[in-house]
Amino acid sequence: MRSQTSAQEPDLSQLITVAAVTKEYRASGGGKFRAVDQVSLEFSRGEVTALLGPNGAGKTTLLDMILGLNTPDSGRISIAGSTPRTAVQQGRVGALLQTGGLLPDLSVKETVQMVAALHRRHAPVHEVMETAGLTEIANRSVAKCSGGQQQRLKFALALLPQPELIILDEPTAGMDPTARHEFWDRMAALATGGTTVLFATHYLEEAEQFARRTVLMHQGRIIADGPTAQIQRQAGAAQIKVTWAPSAEDLAQLPAVRSWEVHQSGTGETPQITFRTDDADTLARHLLARTPAHGISVRPASLEEAFMLLTEKQDHSAEQEISA
Amino acid sequence: MNLMAFILMDFWRNFRNFGNTFFIVVLPTALYLFFGVYNDWSEFDVGNGNASAWIMIGMAVYGAITATTALAGSAAVEIQTGWGRQLSLTAMPHGAFVLAKSVIALMMAVLPVVVLNVIAYFTVAQMPAGVWVATIGLTVIAALPFALYGLAVGLLFRSDAAVGAASGVLVIFGFLGNAFMPLEGVLLDIGRFTPMYGSAALARYPLTEGTIVGTTGFVGTDPLWAVLLNVVVWSLVFAAACFALQRRRTSR
Repeated sequence: MRSQTSAQEPDLSQLITVAAVTKEYRASGGGKFRAVDQVSLEFSRGEVTALLGPNGAGKTTLLDMILGLNTPDSGRISIAGSTPRTAVQQGRVGALLQTGGLLPDLSVKETVQMVAALHRRHAPVHEVMETAGLTEIANRSVAKCSGGQQQRLKFALALLPQPELIILDEPTAGMDPTARHEFWDRMAALATGGTTVLFATHYLEEAEQFARRTVLMHQGRIIADGPTAQIQRQAGAAQIKVTWAPSAEDLAQLPAVRSWEVHQSGTGETPQITFRTDDADTLARHLLARTPAHGISVRPASLEEAFMLLTEKQDHSAEQEISA
Repeated sequence: MNLMAFILMDFWRNFRNFGNTFFIVVLPTALYLFFGVYNDWSEFDVGNGNASAWIMIGMAVYGAITATTALAGSAAVEIQTGWGRQLSLTAMPHGAFVLAKSVIALMMAVLPVVVLNVIAYFTVAQMPAGVWVATIGLTVIAALPFALYGLAVGLLFRSDAAVGAASGVLVIFGFLGNAFMPLEGVLLDIGRFTPMYGSAALARYPLTEGTIVGTTGFVGTDPLWAVLLNVVVWSLVFAAACFALQRRRTSR
């Protein structure tokens, strides 16, 4: 009996549960456009996750639904066992929205004060402004703030309710590299304090450096989900470059190769070949031991390359489905 | 949650916006001082009071209407743009936003009414006390349908510039609606059907009891039902526009 009751209790280790969520929009042509397609995800407390995908992948739509700004056509989302709207009203969730606007005729401090007045509980205004680096520009009007300063102000607003979960949609858009670096330092401090972070980005190095977990989205679907390092491996861990002039037969015998590219530098010279591989050790050993290839260099694939490869696979399998 | 603090801060933001305050308070007050006080006609008898009171009411109606139009319009723009999304991430329910904005619009609408009535009281305007009280109340009430006009413009264009233009157009409505200077002849025949005519006539009803004042004397009478019909019909037109625009917005 006891085990039955405990089984009915929500799993509290998962802060966010997204279950089979679909959202469609009416397309301009009259048909329907599926922005988010049967997405299921779980995020545990304290986890830092990057949501990666090209424009139009459905990232913003998914985040809007997690924030209760939009409702799914089907499926279910819960945050700490309650609906997104309830969680937001309780101040459990803070967010920096991509299209979250500010009023140009307020000052920075007034904006924070005004939004603070609408939360049930909030951190002291001066403290939040300090954390977001706004103290020096407190009296500047929002209209006169740079893009980066406005992002920092939105970040301060996200921190106001002292949330357990912080959602960031393209948080560093419009920031220069220095500001971006500072921003992620602040986020890192926050994550160390146990705040769960979910952020959408198309700066791949941000995912590589900051997120332990990466979710790749493409055309409304999740195409990869796992530790950021594993996502890279999954897509072909590395690129190996050698100087070699192989025959077609040589190439066919190579292990663990996903694709290759030949760079012909000049006539008479031995060409260079770049291999994309999912097992760099095996391929390198084979190349050095069994072929005359030389001048070997091994480089891990960037997340960008991982992403391209994974989306290619996705498109390819979709084509196969159609032809079958 | 402290909705009162939000209301006061947002009121202050709107109040210090000179573009708003100029048309809501400064312009009608200046016009009244030029044309309604110490002119040859200021102390002519009009209905239960004098011409100065008649002019003051028209100016107050114009100021209050500009306030409800501008504030409802900008609220519609705000809620549809990013600021609305930002506020959706707080504990404030949507109903509280509507309530807060209604209170702010009302505060702004009361502003010119108070300023003009105080100036009028201490200069030459004459009305019996009961008429004075009734006309103040009716001025504010008559401005309310224009919140729907502002809302419709805000929903249609989603830009502050459009809302500003819509408030500017009110000068023309004010002229045609008999709010500024007494109309006669063809202009009066046309003006009767324009939206501000009903509001101005309603606010002046306690003073004039329906008589229409021209520059040369009394030029006719508006029965109360005709005045109310103008107000009701235009309110319905604006409400229908809002309804249709809101449906268009949510069906996307």
